[in-house]
Amino acid sequence: MPNWFTPLAVVCALMFATAPILIANAPYESTMGLVQKIFYVHLPSAWMFLLAAIICGIASARFLFRGDLRQDRVAWAAAELAVLFGAITLVTGPLWARKAWGVWWQWDVRLTSSLMGWMVAVAYMLLRKYGGAGSDKLAAGLALFGMANVPFVYISVNYWRTIHPLTTVVPTLPTSFGLPLWFTVATFLLVFVLLLRMRVRLEEQRARVDALYLSMDS
Amino acid sequence: MKPLSLLLVVLISCGAANVALDAQQPPSQPQEEFIPIDQLPPQDQLPAAPLLVVAYSFVVLALFAYLVSVARRLANVQRELERLEGDVKRGGGA
Repeated sequence: MPNWFTPLAVVCALMFATAPILIANAPYESTMGLVQKIFYVHLPSAWMFLLAAIICGIASARFLFRGDLRQDRVAWAAAELAVLFGAITLVTGPLWARKAWGVWWQWDVRLTSSLMGWMVAVAYMLLRKYGGAGSDKLAAGLALFGMANVPFVYISVNYWRTIHPLTTVVPTLPTSFGLPLWFTVATFLLVFVLLLRMRVRLEEQRARVDALYLSMDS
Repeated sequence: MKPLSLLLVVLISCGAANVALDAQQPPSQPQEEFIPIDQLPPQDQLPAAPLLVVAYSFVVLALFAYLVSVARRLANVQRELERLEGDVKRGGGA
């Protein structure tokens, strides 16, 4: 692991321990009350989900057009993180919605496009695991589709009629709500970077193992 | 008639009877004004705390489980790599 990994992991652990204190001290939102505090983990996980889909897409494009195997490893690692953070987003969202909207799920454009993006990431993983020879390039194509879905997920709430909060909510938050939110976003970003590095390392080591087996056969 | 077909006919008949009974019910009184949630009867109020606890527990468990999963896979590959490198060295020395 690189030199920056351990100090960053310590900082991340400290931030992860501090975040609940900031969230607990944040004021109650006037209409939703206690359940609004799910927002502090739902939004950062949704952003990490979209970030993972973008990284997976860019790395896959580089792999497809340049044949760079290191980019393929990054893409695979990012796809796994897209599944993880997407699952967190899709579980915490309905828990919030049940109280705020009175329903667990609504087939509106934001929720449906998010679910679709998550299913693309799951499909990528299944293709890589069970697709056999040549599935790497097919999966890379799928990752491009997943990345193309990201802007649609983000701006959808501003163009279609939906009960999901708009993207304008975050910039207009008062400091008492904004501080714990941005702190949690930074914490999730650190978690994301550390997990991505670990996962890429795993693929690097697997590539070394494969290379050793090949050298032993020849 | 086969038992499965008989069961299917019975189930469909029960369903049709339910629909007929529902159709005979007088329509429920529509709600005429907004009722704040704290004035609703207790069975209609949904407590937020369990939802919040489930959400935060899921986040922590999912992240922790993934971290453990990657660390275990990494340790397994590392062990295999060391074993293979040892084999290659021994093969090269012989």
